[in-house]
Amino acid sequence: MVVENPLPPFLIWFAGALAIWLGVVAAVSLVGFFLGWLAVALERGPREAVARNWQMICQAFQDFVRYISGSRISGLAYLAIKESIRRRVIAVFVVFLVLLMFAGWHIDPASREPAVLYLNFVLSATTYLMLLLALFIASFSLPTDIRNRTIHTVVTKPVRASEILLGRLSGFALVATVILIGMAIVSFFFVTLGLNHRHTLTAENLQSVTEGGGETGTLTGLTSSVFGHRHRVYVDVGGQGRVEVARGHYHSLRVVGSGPDARYEIGPPEGFLLARVPIYGKLEFRDRDGLDADKGLNVGDEWTYRGYIQGASPAALIWTFEGMSPRRFPEGLPLELTLGVFRTHKGNIEKPVLGSLAVRNPRTGLYVETEIFESREFAEVPEIKRLFVPRKIVNPPSVQIIQRKKNTPEGIVLSPPPEEVRPELTQKREFDLYEDLVDNGRLEVWIRCIEPGQYFGAAQPDLYIRARDGSFVINLLKACYGIWLVTIIVLAYGITASTFLSAPVAMVATIGVLVGGLFRDFVIKLALGQTYGGGPFESLYRLVTQENVMSELEPGLGTLLLKMADVIARGFLFAVASILPPLGQFGWANWVAHGFDIPWEHVLIRTLQTFAFAIPVIVAGYFFFKSREIAE
Amino acid sequence: MQTGVNTPHAVPEVVVETRNLTKIYRDFWGRQKVRALKALDLTIYKGEIFGLLGPNGSGKTTTMKLLLGLLFPTEGQAIVLGKDATDVSKNERIGYLPEETYLYRFLTGEETLDFFGRLFNMPAAVRRQRTAELLELVGLTGARRRQVREYSKGMARRLGLAQALINDPDLILLDEPTTGLDPIGTRAMKDLILRLKDQGKTIIMCSHLLADVQDVCDRIGILYQGELKELGRVDALLKVRDVTEIRFSGGDGALVDDVKQVIERRNGKIHFIGNPTTTLEELFLQIIRESEAHPGRRVRGGISGDGR
Ligand SMILES: Nc1ncnc2c1ncn2[C@@H]1O[C@H](COP(=O)(O)OP(=O)(O)O)[C@@H](O)[C@H]1O
Ligand SMILES: [Mg+2]
Repeated sequence: MVVENPLPPFLIWFAGALAIWLGVVAAVSLVGFFLGWLAVALERGPREAVARNWQMICQAFQDFVRYISGSRISGLAYLAIKESIRRRVIAVFVVFLVLLMFAGWHIDPASREPAVLYLNFVLSATTYLMLLLALFIASFSLPTDIRNRTIHTVVTKPVRASEILLGRLSGFALVATVILIGMAIVSFFFVTLGLNHRHTLTAENLQSVTEGGGETGTLTGLTSSVFGHRHRVYVDVGGQGRVEVARGHYHSLRVVGSGPDARYEIGPPEGFLLARVPIYGKLEFRDRDGLDADKGLNVGDEWTYRGYIQGASPAALIWTFEGMSPRRFPEGLPLELTLGVFRTHKGNIEKPVLGSLAVRNPRTGLYVETEIFESREFAEVPEIKRLFVPRKIVNPPSVQIIQRKKNTPEGIVLSPPPEEVRPELTQKREFDLYEDLVDNGRLEVWIRCIEPGQYFGAAQPDLYIRARDGSFVINLLKACYGIWLVTIIVLAYGITASTFLSAPVAMVATIGVLVGGLFRDFVIKLALGQTYGGGPFESLYRLVTQENVMSELEPGLGTLLLKMADVIARGFLFAVASILPPLGQFGWANWVAHGFDIPWEHVLIRTLQTFAFAIPVIVAGYFFFKSREIAE
Repeated sequence: MQTGVNTPHAVPEVVVETRNLTKIYRDFWGRQKVRALKALDLTIYKGEIFGLLGPNGSGKTTTMKLLLGLLFPTEGQAIVLGKDATDVSKNERIGYLPEETYLYRFLTGEETLDFFGRLFNMPAAVRRQRTAELLELVGLTGARRRQVREYSKGMARRLGLAQALINDPDLILLDEPTTGLDPIGTRAMKDLILRLKDQGKTIIMCSHLLADVQDVCDRIGILYQGELKELGRVDALLKVRDVTEIRFSGGDGALVDDVKQVIERRNGKIHFIGNPTTTLEELFLQIIRESEAHPGRRVRGGISGDGR
């Protein structure tokens, strides 16, 4: 799975995020206070305006902290739930079922990664429907109450504006939760049923395995073909069966009876629905001269995610892992690798490219190659390759001392330095992973390409130790929780927009926030001037005049004005971007679809982000609602 | 001085006070549309029934909404129960029956009252008891499980009244309380208003129906085009000081002539002599009372005698 922007560790993230949050909240509050002051000052004079605004802020504090009542909020939440039922939000669930029905016909279980297709589909459908639901119920609720004037009866009770907003938010959140749980359950069964298939195997399909001219007693053969694939099967002398992995899954095999009467029972698919817990290392590159490089080669892709190394040269991809210990991995290291392959001479595209896996002690430089593997990366989606570094490495293909070379201002620095190189380390034929190769918990894993003219490419998340597998169901629930968080954010924005806009306008505004949130990173780039062709006005000018985006504009007053307008527009964009939620980062569908456990750290971060946006937005809604004449 | 309280020695407690209260409705661009209320100065005391009287569009509802904080005054101020009208906490002691019944149509009668009870932070047991009492009071016990959408206008109105009383308020604002009610309902409403007054509550009601106001209010203010035109005690305002009315029964034409002569001899001027008519309201109520006493009796006339 591609992880383009890995999250920093929680505490580092938290410190940075908190600072930015406080800054944005302070700035927005100041602007809000000023605008509020201006509005009152125009009618009642500047001094009165300060007094009134101050009073309003104190009131807000009391309404959110002191007077807020759980009973009232639950009453209003109950009302919101009743309203949702009356609006027949359950229809969303029906739409979901219909969508699944259509998808059931169209998703091809014979494709290369059926689990990814199925999971991506159900999670996207769930996401879009939940967002639609949130948009609709949040932006129509208050305006309908105001239009029907039912709100008059409510606000003449001792209800705080804060409770009206929070009551709605919690009521709708509850409705969303119930629907989401329903969708999650249906999704789970839909995916399991969709992926389910049975192969058959009969005695005629099996042949004896011969080795060195003699029969070994082991039988092997291929199962029947279902969904476009077969599995190779081995049955040993004792009647124990094993089914090889194909298309990312395997089956259980039970042998009943023996000899020619034996019957073979193949179970349902297993291993489709995973939640791998990867441990990542830090990736460095070594170029073809054996020098450390901070980037790999660019093979002309526009997407610079993966860096490449040349085959049949000292170049290597080097991952350094920390905290390796026999307690954590007593058997050895189960690795998983995804490689990009770039071929300079095409030839037979189906022919695998050879690579080597090695481990190296970062202090002594002892380098032990453990495996030569084939990479068949001819498909568009690179397949995950499983590798294993055993605890006891016996008779490895190659053993040497490799010094890493770093180019520093003082010249080339070797590690280990020549005086510390101990060639006698290579004399053994058997190595212990922890005694010989791990230094202070640190271990280097090297991947190299053996064939000339071919290139391997990787990004940091492409190699990891698959420490253990988490529960798929919990992972699915985490993804649903992510959808729930986005729903909460949309509800908060929708409710706040509906405090001062009519229902359709509030809905459009919330859609704007949603789309802006999805493209927030781009908006920020635009605001910071990191895009080609200048800011919004300059690009518009270029668009109209069909000017090339790379060429400089002719200097002159026009250009100056254009650039000035852009500075203002950029400031405005930046301000807007900073109050947009980073929704693009909330989607966990990919994690679940590709079988990666969503780290709890991410769950925590997204939860905090949700609060960080929802709370100020609701507070803003409070002020809009309070300053509005309800009966007008 | 006019006070609405029965204890002439104590200084009466002020419940509502408006000073220079003005409301101008503006359109979206801030342009003036309607001057709905012009510089209203009004003081309402504890325990009285105050009636705001005026034709449609004279600013009665606007005044009520200003007192409730549903509208913000363009100028001036309203103090309600010692707090600014925009202060939410005053609502703890207020009951409000809006001009039309604005209730959630998807709730049942019982759910409606329970919901509003929750907004007062009432414990569940109290809510249940209060809901039952009020439904009984307004005669909706039988319809308590039905959704408000199925209610007739009068039933909705009565439920509206029940919700206004859910918190046992000290100050009750009733906007056109009798619209949508049949004469029995109107009578019941008036009786209830008087009963509430007996419990020491302050009531502000507005109406364009003169009879309603006359029957129950202690004091009235007459609004016309947003201006307060008249303010005072109902009995004092309506007393026609230079006319005396005599009503008697059991006499014949001769007795009437005698009386006529006596008045003329003493230089009095006779305006009218004849049989008084009753009000339609009284007639209607009397017919209902009689029908209840003698069920099955019907008017037999040429029109209704079609045999069905
Ligand atoms: N929301 C409003 N916007 C503009 N004008 C209004 C609004 N509400 C009431 N008005 C106007 O204000 C005046 C007073 O209305 P209102 O207080 O409802 O009268 P009443 O209750 O005495 O019938 C009327 O002319 C009415 O048209
Ligand atoms: Mg009115």
